[in-house]
Amino acid sequence: MPMLTNRRKEMAVAASLVAPFVLTFVVVFLYPTIRLVQLSFTNAPLIGSGEWVGFDNFIRLLSDRLFLTSLKNNGYFVLLTVVPTTAVALGFALMIRRLRGALQALALAIFFLPYILPVSVVTQIWTWMLDFQFGVLQPVIEFFTGKPVSVFKNPYWVMPTVAAVTIWWTNGFNVLLFIAGLRNISKDYYEAAQLDGATRRQLFTKVTWPLLWPVTALVLTLQLILQLKIFDQVYLLSSGGPFNSSYVLLLMVYREAFQLNHGGYASTIALVLFIIIAMLSVLQFQLLRAGGRR
Amino acid sequence: MRYKALLAATAMALTAIPALAQENVTWWDFLSGGDGVRMKALIARFNDEHPDIKITGTTLEWGIPFYTKVRTAVAVGQGPDVMTYHLSRMPLGLEEGVLDEITDEDLKNAGVTKDSFFPASIKAASSDDGKLHAVPFDIHSIVLYYNKSYLEGSKFLDADGKLTGINNLKDFEEALALAKEKGAEAPVSYATGDDGGTFRVFYTLLRQQGGELITGKEVLAGDNLEKAAKAIEIMTNWATNGWQPEQAEYEASVALFTSGKSAFSLNGVWEVPTMIDLEKKGTLGYKWGAVQVPNLMGTQTTWADSHSFAIPANNKMSPEKRKAVMTVIGWMEKNSLAWAEAGHIPAYKEVAEGEAFRKMEPNATYAALANTASYDPRSPIAGVASPAYDAAINVISPAIHGYAEPMQAAEQIKQDLQEKLK
Repeated sequence: MPMLTNRRKEMAVAASLVAPFVLTFVVVFLYPTIRLVQLSFTNAPLIGSGEWVGFDNFIRLLSDRLFLTSLKNNGYFVLLTVVPTTAVALGFALMIRRLRGALQALALAIFFLPYILPVSVVTQIWTWMLDFQFGVLQPVIEFFTGKPVSVFKNPYWVMPTVAAVTIWWTNGFNVLLFIAGLRNISKDYYEAAQLDGATRRQLFTKVTWPLLWPVTALVLTLQLILQLKIFDQVYLLSSGGPFNSSYVLLLMVYREAFQLNHGGYASTIALVLFIIIAMLSVLQFQLLRAGGRR
Repeated sequence: MRYKALLAATAMALTAIPALAQENVTWWDFLSGGDGVRMKALIARFNDEHPDIKITGTTLEWGIPFYTKVRTAVAVGQGPDVMTYHLSRMPLGLEEGVLDEITDEDLKNAGVTKDSFFPASIKAASSDDGKLHAVPFDIHSIVLYYNKSYLEGSKFLDADGKLTGINNLKDFEEALALAKEKGAEAPVSYATGDDGGTFRVFYTLLRQQGGELITGKEVLAGDNLEKAAKAIEIMTNWATNGWQPEQAEYEASVALFTSGKSAFSLNGVWEVPTMIDLEKKGTLGYKWGAVQVPNLMGTQTTWADSHSFAIPANNKMSPEKRKAVMTVIGWMEKNSLAWAEAGHIPAYKEVAEGEAFRKMEPNATYAALANTASYDPRSPIAGVASPAYDAAINVISPAIHGYAEPMQAAEQIKQDLQEKLK
């Protein structure tokens, strides 16, 4: 009997401890998500309710050329950012690790600095640096291409440039993760390998790379999720143009909802993006884990 | 001591309130440029003249931010008492149901009738069943600004130094070539890298061919597609000949003309105060003029839009307050001569046809454009901050810079907008 009351008490305590989280989760995440799913089956405007239209929105989405363009652009952007930013971050982390003391802290701070800037500041900086008439980077571009390029208005340059800006902006965080990962690898492994006559190349491929793999997998997955959600940079730098060459799914959600007052259709796009992100990230993480177990 | 003063002040304030019974009118607008300054002056004048009504104005960001805020605020009943609204945006506004009806009694309280305004603007401000949802305030369009220094001694200036002899596209392009020869960096300046600037020129060229962007439920139907391609081709041609600036943002396009590097500028009447101010200060360095966009393509017409006043739906206004709001609107209309100084053409006939406006330059020179103006198509996907404007920056602007053939671009506009119209 006392056992039982104890257990009940424990349950009550446990419940009261998780309640704040569960409540917050239900109110700010679960409920909106359920509403989003509901909305995606209606023709609701941005505010207010609409009529149930079944799968109409989804059928329309499949034949919406802009949706396919956006999906393609999202994929292109992921290709341009996820692996490159991870590789760059790993490279910088390996270099920073060789530094000592204050110098290392300084290098870390320099790489981390862009990350704390708000996106509006980042895009302002780059808009000016790449400005067609006055940009300080235009002579560099001119050196390679022979003439200045209005990068955000050129269908070929726009996505790679947005990707470069994004990498510059967010790379610091990845560097930090890699530094933490590298610090977790015990020095003993390196010493042992060196005693066995391992070259520096072997040290990296046989010790650092496999032991760092969990962190690499984490960075890749986080980046995949983050980059699929691209919106701010595109909205601020190119607003989807030219010729829709930087139109992405979230921009489509925004335009449908806030410009055209189509709450239902916007929810459908958002839901599809949500499912795509969930599927891809689970798939990627599983694949990467399998890759790491080799 | 201080406590006593405070007490006295409170007592005074308390007695003052019932004596005045002041109506507070919340006002939202999107006018942040040179015309915003003039609007604030008008509001201040109104407040001075009306001790019983006080306008509290807020200026919000033009375009999607403004209209999004209006929609969400109205939905929860937190909208302003009166707001500025583009008539080109009326179809979407009606679809969203954010605009209250303006009844004949309201108009009576404002001291105006529907006949006080030009019929075209009343039609634009009404729903299809003829109910009025906004009170037109002005008509604004693009005009052709010119810099006389490039045209002196040529056939394009008459004895009075006024622009003349531009009767078709060939004449205009001859003038552009002449200006280029005389060293103009960009003979005709407009915002080639900006949505509004590009759209207004494109739409003018399209309409001058008799083309329609949207007919019924179809975008660029029939030979309108070729006409759109033709308009883009002309703009592309201006670019290839070095007659227009490359990727000019709005501010840059204005600066090119004000600094004397352009012979012409196709821009809104709202830059008239900029020109007048510069001339007054003596920093302009050349003589200028402005005329309505000449008939380049066969039909005399120009893109135009209107600012209007609207009352948000879902308001819980008392009849007294509503009356105060209409007083505000009526007063603004009757004093819109001050608004004309911002380049606009008043929508209120009494002012537009009055002696003072007829003498106001350069407005009087181009005021006739109101009779032949082409408003944006009446559709939820056209108007300020609409997909039609997006198409200008997304498709037309890159196309005129050589990234697509004119026909290709016209087809993409058709496809993109048609999809949005579903």
